[in-house]
Amino acid sequence: MHDGSGLIAVQNLTKKFGSVTAVQNLSFTVSPGNVTGFLGPNGAGKTTTLRMLLGLVKPTGGTATINGRPFHQLGQPGRVVGAVLEAQGFHPARSARNHLRVYAAAIGVPDAQADQVLGLVGLGTAADRKVGGFSLGMKQRLALATALLGDPQVLVLDEPANGLDPEGIAWLRTFLQSYARMGRTVLISSHLLAEVEQTVDQVVIISRGQTMFYGPLEQLRQQQQRRVLVQPSDVNALATALHAEGVQTIEQLADGRLAVSGVDSKHVADSALRAGVSIYGIQEEQVDLERLFFQLTSGQYAGYAPAQNPYQQQGGWA
Amino acid sequence: MGNLVQAELRKTTTTGLWWGLLIPTVVLALGWGLATGLFGKFFVDFASSSDLEEVSDFLGVTPDHWKVTLFGIARAINISTIFPMVFGAMAISGEINRRTITTTFLTAPSRMHAMLAKMLVYVLWGAIYGLAIMLFVGIGVVLTSNSGQLPDAGGWAMLALACVLSSILMTMFGVGVGALIPNVAGTIVLLLLYFLVIENVLHFVLVYLEVPTVIGFLPNGSINGLTGSVAVDLFLSTAGVVPPEVEDVLRAIAGAGGALDWWWSGLVFLGWAGIVFAGGWAVTQSKDIT
Ligand SMILES: Nc1ncnc2c1ncn2[C@@H]1O[C@H](COP(=O)(O)OP(=O)(O)OP(=O)(O)O)[C@@H](O)[C@H]1O
Ligand SMILES: [Mg+2]
Repeated sequence: MHDGSGLIAVQNLTKKFGSVTAVQNLSFTVSPGNVTGFLGPNGAGKTTTLRMLLGLVKPTGGTATINGRPFHQLGQPGRVVGAVLEAQGFHPARSARNHLRVYAAAIGVPDAQADQVLGLVGLGTAADRKVGGFSLGMKQRLALATALLGDPQVLVLDEPANGLDPEGIAWLRTFLQSYARMGRTVLISSHLLAEVEQTVDQVVIISRGQTMFYGPLEQLRQQQQRRVLVQPSDVNALATALHAEGVQTIEQLADGRLAVSGVDSKHVADSALRAGVSIYGIQEEQVDLERLFFQLTSGQYAGYAPAQNPYQQQGGWA
Repeated sequence: MGNLVQAELRKTTTTGLWWGLLIPTVVLALGWGLATGLFGKFFVDFASSSDLEEVSDFLGVTPDHWKVTLFGIARAINISTIFPMVFGAMAISGEINRRTITTTFLTAPSRMHAMLAKMLVYVLWGAIYGLAIMLFVGIGVVLTSNSGQLPDAGGWAMLALACVLSSILMTMFGVGVGALIPNVAGTIVLLLLYFLVIENVLHFVLVYLEVPTVIGFLPNGSINGLTGSVAVDLFLSTAGVVPPEVEDVLRAIAGAGGALDWWWSGLVFLGWAGIVFAGGWAVTQSKDIT
């Protein structure tokens, strides 16, 4: 049946909803052993891609496979892949335990597994409560518990951190990492790079249905130039000195500081010393992945500043 | 498949819908049964009144031997099985509305597997509803009838069979329509409108056009034909002399106007259930769950 490799392969995947192209010629692979982030702004096509991977949406073109097979050829899909797609797929009158028992039966795992995953996601005490009364975070946890029922080799999670409290997010982070370390595959989507930055090893960044970046997070970090923000006693003297040393990208910021790219703070401080300029403050700017993310994905549905006349706007959600 | 059937069974037993619909079902069945018995008594009294007795003696018919309660029982079954049909209609449309269909499809080898498992479980529920309906109609009729008006043991068995079959078929039909129109309110309104209004109007038109036989091939006509024909057959077996014109009227009263034999009627309706299920399957199979 399937090859048990734990590989997710998306190839030239395309989906059109009428005239809307949700996903366009998307390709990437996700391998076991690490957590892969699937990133893109609102409406980029993340959910649509994941649903195509899970056999819920029929692609207009291309293929998406898990373990070398399309979803409907997996045989017992619940034991191969677990998915969290939304925190809404619950009957409000059913208790959490009964919800899990329904799907435990479908997957063919013992009922005890229901209680086990409930405990795992921290819902042990709410097991007999009706899901209709659950908070968003609790539903999100229950969705995760459902995904884990079949002890799957592959986990596919669509914005699983939605509604989770900081403790829940921290827990999810460690959980997913250790899950991946066991040699399993974890694919997790988010519209915030910062949210998953500490969790993921690999990233697939999409925008308007197309791949913008695909590779290790480290590689993305390296693409970002570092900047040193320095407040010297004499801006011009330091700038001239740095220039003389071949540093090209020097910017004067509005607050009077200099932003120096391409060198580290030690280099700037040494130059200042040699030029006889004192330094009142120096700071290496943190690698701002978020800004890079913005540049990569800029503005499919960008909003406008509130000062602008709303009647002159175009685009947006309309 | 066994796993999926168990999962579907658990879905139905872990919410209150099954008894929420079963209560009005048995209340209706009981009420209709009680009314049937009362009406039967009234009919016998009326038929035995001296004036009418002369007429019937003259015609050679014996209305005081007529078990008219049979018709009431058939009608009670027809009307009560609307509920299991509604129950069936929620099977798939309810899951789509509540978005639980996503997990259902994620945990089944294929959509077809999931739908077939559901159908099997709803066949079982159809049978349970059918037995409950028969039980309560029976209680109602027995409480208010003279024993002479009641069917014999074989008659009861035949009616129970027709009732359970009819309930199963109606449930299956509901499941199919619920898959075809993936919207709970839309499905239920359409089913009720069709079974309670549209097709009845159609029957009048067909009778007016002098093609009443077509009725037996329509969904409501065939399912009513199943119970109605059983009732008419049982009636005729004990009624003595019945003039042919009267027989047609009796068939209409039993809800079996233009109907075929009971088992033919059942097959015709099974065909309808199969058609809507196939349509619902086609829709569900290619549907994007977003
Ligand atoms: N059923 C549908 N019918 C029509 N258009 C759809 C449908 N589902 C999604 N789309 C469109 O496809 C595009 C991608 O949507 P998708 O939900 O995949 O984005 P996303 O990346 O998950 O966004 P978000 O971060 O907001 O969850 C959007 O333009 C959306 O409007
Ligand atoms: Mg989404």
